[in-house]
Amino acid sequence: MAESTDPFLGAKGVASHSTDVRFVLETRGLTVRAGGRDLLRAVNLSIAPQQVFGIIGPSGAGKSTLLKCLNRLIELTPGLRVSGDVRFHQESIYAANMDVDSLRARIGILFQQPVVFPKSILQNVIFGTRHLGKVPRKEWPDVAERALREAALWDEVKDRLRESALLLSVGQQQRLCLARTLAVDPEVILMDEPTSALDPKSTEAIEELILQFKQRRTIVLVTHNLAQARRVTDHVACIAVHDGAGQLIDCAPGDELLGDAQGDEVTAYFESRKRSKPEP
Amino acid sequence: MTTVAPAARSLAGNLPRRRWSATRSLSYGFSALAAGFVVVLAVLFVWQSIPAWRHEGLGFLPGKKWFYPQEQFGALAMIYGTVIVSLIALLLAAPIGIGAAIFSAEFIPRRLQLAVKVLIELLAGIPSVVYGLLGILFLRDWIYRALTPFDPLSGDTLLTAGILLAVMILPTVMTLCDDALRGVPSAQRQAARGLGLTQTEVVLSVCLPQAARGMVAAVLLALGRALGEAIAVFLVVGRQDNQWPANPFSLRPLIESGQTLTSKLASSETNIAYGDPLHWAAIVGLGLVLLAMTVTVTLVGTQLMRPREGHA
Amino acid sequence: MRRFKHHVFRFATGACVVLACGVLVLIVLAIAMRGLPAISWQFFTEQIRLVGADGGIFYNLVGTFILIGTAFIVSAPIAVGLALVHGVYLRERRHRERLTLLLYLLNGVPSILFGLLGLIVFVKFFGLGKSWLSGGVLLGMLILPTVTIALIERIASLPGKYVEAAAGLGLTQSQIIWSVILPQSLSGLVTGSLLGLAHAAGETAPIMFTATIFAGATFPHAIKESPVLSLPYHIFILAQDSFDPAVGAKLWGTALTLLGLVLLLSLVALPLRLKIHEEAHHG
Repeated sequence: MAESTDPFLGAKGVASHSTDVRFVLETRGLTVRAGGRDLLRAVNLSIAPQQVFGIIGPSGAGKSTLLKCLNRLIELTPGLRVSGDVRFHQESIYAANMDVDSLRARIGILFQQPVVFPKSILQNVIFGTRHLGKVPRKEWPDVAERALREAALWDEVKDRLRESALLLSVGQQQRLCLARTLAVDPEVILMDEPTSALDPKSTEAIEELILQFKQRRTIVLVTHNLAQARRVTDHVACIAVHDGAGQLIDCAPGDELLGDAQGDEVTAYFESRKRSKPEP
Repeated sequence: MTTVAPAARSLAGNLPRRRWSATRSLSYGFSALAAGFVVVLAVLFVWQSIPAWRHEGLGFLPGKKWFYPQEQFGALAMIYGTVIVSLIALLLAAPIGIGAAIFSAEFIPRRLQLAVKVLIELLAGIPSVVYGLLGILFLRDWIYRALTPFDPLSGDTLLTAGILLAVMILPTVMTLCDDALRGVPSAQRQAARGLGLTQTEVVLSVCLPQAARGMVAAVLLALGRALGEAIAVFLVVGRQDNQWPANPFSLRPLIESGQTLTSKLASSETNIAYGDPLHWAAIVGLGLVLLAMTVTVTLVGTQLMRPREGHA
Repeated sequence: MRRFKHHVFRFATGACVVLACGVLVLIVLAIAMRGLPAISWQFFTEQIRLVGADGGIFYNLVGTFILIGTAFIVSAPIAVGLALVHGVYLRERRHRERLTLLLYLLNGVPSILFGLLGLIVFVKFFGLGKSWLSGGVLLGMLILPTVTIALIERIASLPGKYVEAAAGLGLTQSQIIWSVILPQSLSGLVTGSLLGLAHAAGETAPIMFTATIFAGATFPHAIKESPVLSLPYHIFILAQDSFDPAVGAKLWGTALTLLGLVLLLSLVALPLRLKIHEEAHHG
């Protein structure tokens, strides 16, 4: 069993896989500073392929920040300094010869609020593919159909591909964003609380899709909903504010960590953990 | 000037009303002054130019000859001059202004953006007479020397005025295009980058299509400024009447002196015309034509800048 | 290939910025280099002699200050009135939009037409001859949109809580306007006026027929037939006859002074505008 010990907190991040499994994503001492304070400090994660890796924690702990570091989207936010390393297939994503744009095509991301471009549904789906240039133009409709089917949106929109995507409901828009990401065929999909803005039915739909995706892809899911984490994740990392910065305080297979959790509320969960664990 | 969104939260709704208030009367009174000014402007220009319209009929506009001692008043050559000079200015200023706005809004960090904004505003503040001075003392000679293969008569040409105008309207184009680009939500840029698009691809396929409307408005408003500029154009355009070319699409007139509506209005002829009703009416008629052109352009540009109705 | 296109695009647009900023720097440098030799205390305190070849620009400065001072007095109350009508009294959105449209249209009227209008109304109709007052009024109306829009935006960005608190205390609409809205929006009036006056100081066209002459005027003594000298008109006349080398340095000195005045007015407004911008976005 591969173990990593965090000396500050005395917690153990345990990967329950055999040592020769190659992790698809790893972070080593990932720290993000803004102004004078640390948003994230010394986060070490190892994410295995073809699983759903959950990141839970109270609001403001830095989960979204952490997620955006994984595909360097964090660089779009001015004023932040990132140190430490992130490795994708054992190669640092900060290497000098790393093409960030290609990296982001391989590590896709879905946001909390669906961001749909003011174009047609079809144009939205192939938006990423067309710029990648890997797929010839005449195959775009097929790529779009495949992606929309994978996102379970095809049946609802197949007759109105040329209509504006802004006319879709929020749940449909989120699945459209998912289809758009899938069309680029990424290995990893980062999801930042993808269902928190959606109604229960759409939430259920997305969760089902996530479970289907993990057969071929790796999902990193940030969520503040414990029940969702229980339903969907295989492995969970907890990020919480400690000593003024977001830090990894636990990392274990889902049922281990969440099995005895009371209720759905993440804050309550962390409160109860704080009470049960002695202060270091 | 920046765009004004109609007050989202009109304070009127929150305030208790009274039947009559001195403040309200004063406010409406002053506002009436402003409105009155605009009305008086329009009415007077129409009214005072009537003798000219009666004299030339509608031939005033397409009339090619302007020779006031013989009471010949045709505005076409000046309309032509105005249009050519403004077009040259737009052709030069629009690409550079748009390019500069794109770089400033998309490719540089926020603190540098502020510095560029301040610098460009200062450029916008330079008085037109100073531009005219620079045009006379520098640009005129450069153009003259550059045009020697074409055997020019002097450096005062339509081209000179156009180039000078281009520098003058560049800040307008840049500032308004910058505003248009900032109107595109950054969430969309983030989403596009998240898909793996390069910054340039994001600008070209996300930002520009959405900012296009505002950019067209910017260009139109800059055009309005160019149409109406008098002093700088007056000093370098050559002030040569009746330069209507045999072939309106040839480039020859660009390197010759010309006359625009504004350069004529700013000239001593306005004072000369003061005494003679017909001549005066013709001059005011030129002013009316200029007013119509600029109001139209400003109207279209302003309407384009308003947020689209029903846009999600 | 995609990266290459990105670099080319970035370079091309960057070149545009360099060009735009470079032109400005060159212009300012050209004027400064040629104008500085003429600048001296005497330059500002003496009057013109020898048709601009000697002496200073004292009365030109006086004239310009009189003109922009009058412009301020004319535009400020009207701007406040318009802004209050827009922000407080008009209840329907389309009325407000029409008012804004009117302001934009006025802003688009070429300044030479203001001069022409002044010729018709003040010189002809009222028989004032050339008068500083006509110039001031025309300039005031010219800058009215700038001042008004700055004020409108300022009022629109005021937090509603102050108005609500005052209304809760039982103040009437007028009292709220005078005790809350106007004091808090003063900064908008100041910045709008500074920007407008910077523009007005440099304008030649509205005043060349109606208010200013080249030489022979000092302080105006009445309203009728009382022109003033001015900086921009001085430059305008001399520029058309700029072959006399003795005139040259003085001409550039005048241009530098005018430029300095305009830049000073704009720069003074800058920190206030930055503060307003900050408050509007993070207040």
